[in-house]
Amino acid sequence: MVRVGRTVAFSVVVGLVATACSTGGGGPAESPAATDGGSTADICTAPPKHEGTTLTFASFGGVYQEAQRSGWLEPYSKLTGVTFQESEESSNATIKAQVESGNVEWDVVDVGNDFGLDGNADLLEPLDYNLIKKDEIIEGFASTYRVADITYGVVLAYNTDKTAGKVPEGWADFFDLAKFPGKRGLWKYSTGGVLEFALMADGVAPGDLYPLDIDRALAKLDTIKDEIVWWNSGAESQELIGSGEVAMSMIWNGRGYSAKHTDGKPVEIQWNQQILTADYFVVPKGTPNKQIAMEFIAWATCAENNAAVSEKIPYGPTNKNAKPNPAVVPDLAVSNVNDTTAYFDDAYLIDNFDEIDGKFQAWLTQ
Amino acid sequence: MNALRLPVRRAGASTGAPLVNPWAALAMPVLVFLVVCFLVPLIVMGMRAVTDLPSDAGGDVLVNFRRFFEGEANVRVLGNTFWVAVLSTLTCLAIGYPYAYLMTVASPRWTGILLIAVLVPFWSSLLVRTYAWQVILRDTGLINSTLIGWGLIAEPLDLYQTTTAVILGMTHVLLPFMVLPLFTTMSRIDPELTKAAANLGATPARAFLRVFLPLSVPGVLSGSLLVFVLALGFYITPALLGSPKDTMLSAFIATRVQQQLDWGLASAMALVLIGVTLAVLFVASRFIRVRDVFGALESD
Repeated sequence: MVRVGRTVAFSVVVGLVATACSTGGGGPAESPAATDGGSTADICTAPPKHEGTTLTFASFGGVYQEAQRSGWLEPYSKLTGVTFQESEESSNATIKAQVESGNVEWDVVDVGNDFGLDGNADLLEPLDYNLIKKDEIIEGFASTYRVADITYGVVLAYNTDKTAGKVPEGWADFFDLAKFPGKRGLWKYSTGGVLEFALMADGVAPGDLYPLDIDRALAKLDTIKDEIVWWNSGAESQELIGSGEVAMSMIWNGRGYSAKHTDGKPVEIQWNQQILTADYFVVPKGTPNKQIAMEFIAWATCAENNAAVSEKIPYGPTNKNAKPNPAVVPDLAVSNVNDTTAYFDDAYLIDNFDEIDGKFQAWLTQ
Repeated sequence: MNALRLPVRRAGASTGAPLVNPWAALAMPVLVFLVVCFLVPLIVMGMRAVTDLPSDAGGDVLVNFRRFFEGEANVRVLGNTFWVAVLSTLTCLAIGYPYAYLMTVASPRWTGILLIAVLVPFWSSLLVRTYAWQVILRDTGLINSTLIGWGLIAEPLDLYQTTTAVILGMTHVLLPFMVLPLFTTMSRIDPELTKAAANLGATPARAFLRVFLPLSVPGVLSGSLLVFVLALGFYITPALLGSPKDTMLSAFIATRVQQQLDWGLASAMALVLIGVTLAVLFVASRFIRVRDVFGALESD
């Protein structure tokens, strides 16, 4: 349950965010925030000012980074005077190259769930959990070197023209070519969910996926192998499901949303048996702006600020107390969590990548 | 590297006569560039393959190579990489040879137009062109929807995610690298030679086969070599247009570099690819030496 004090502080910040997004306008709730926040006055509402400092922020570009810019970077600049330089080419390899060459340019990097665990300790700064409110982050989404900044779902999307009004209830239906004829879109990446979905279709409970029974998953995938269209990028998946090239596809929920709302295609998402996962903030080891990077990460993962990105893209907060705009709530993966929801075991997938990917590629190229 | 010798020797014949040529100094920037941007990284990569080892390697410096060859898919994909490269080279040659020939015999104005036509693909990005092929080849794409619309077929043809699609996409990208060397060689062949053959009673076909074709072989060799080596490094096009069976080794290397940060294994994979490429070129040079005689005839 949300405590009263926090509720007050929260409604205040909704006001703040709203003001930051619009231009000017009085923030009548500002002074109560300062007093009510009291002793915790407070990285979330009044982060330390650093006029003239520049942080370099790297993420994945496109609409996603635009949402991060207007939701986080621009408001943070107004509050603190910190300006942002941006890269739209976030990549684990670039972090490694920067750290190994001793020339660290990126201060805050948005990375995928395949990076940032203890195996990458030599590339990353430990996060400052005196500033970041770890207990407010969803269980398992904050660890030594990374904290989730947004959540998303790897989901089943279907083209309603191709399913003739029927609704696939989960991955078992995805593999049922008799009930739902048509091609199937899958991401050609071994540890992105394809094996987990095959196992769930075969009756494995979402909680029992790990350690993965790779052979069983591949045997299940074999039953639809001829009907699979493999995709390599989010843009491709959006196109495949929107055009009806495939009747159903595994898709990142933001891409499914864009197929429906941006492209206006007959696409719906089935949230059952989604995998809830996240993008993470990390700080490359040796950045000269470590302290300010930590302050920014702490601010952006606060209940008050974390949901600001959801205004422009249906990626949800990671802070349990954040309250995204009610209009977008139905489209967020976190709002659609139920007892069929699965979670990646990132540590397992990273540690066993050689075996998992080896078997997957051997099957693929057969 | 005998395969490389033919074009190189001709270039050398005009500049290499004095023992110390002051103009050779002009090659220094290129030399420095090659050493800094190619040789040094290659050596660093070679070192990485035997020093950047997994924690459980236990001092086995060849462990990365062992990991590569133990992966069932790796060896299969290595073979496939060469197969796809050979197929695209042959397709480029089949289309590029007549095209270059046409450029040689056409009027100067038409030669210019044909030259521009072959260079136009360079003006748009590789990704855009590859996605365009997707749009054309899909079940719901241009070809299939047109054919179905005309009632010629009931079910869409299987075009997208096939080896044919990969070869189409790669040929589209690589064709200029075949046409330009061919055109350079062909335009230097004296047209009087074919006329002389005709005067001596050869039919046009015979004059072409016995005179023109042999003289164009250096262009065929350098064009094919260029296309083949470039094709070996492709991965976006096969990944976007092909089935998983058309995966090229570069795609595996990219995964290791970008996602897994396993740069030791990635370096070993790259070295294997370079090594096998050199071996193929060596074997090819033995085979091609038989035809050296044509090159010799031309330069004399």
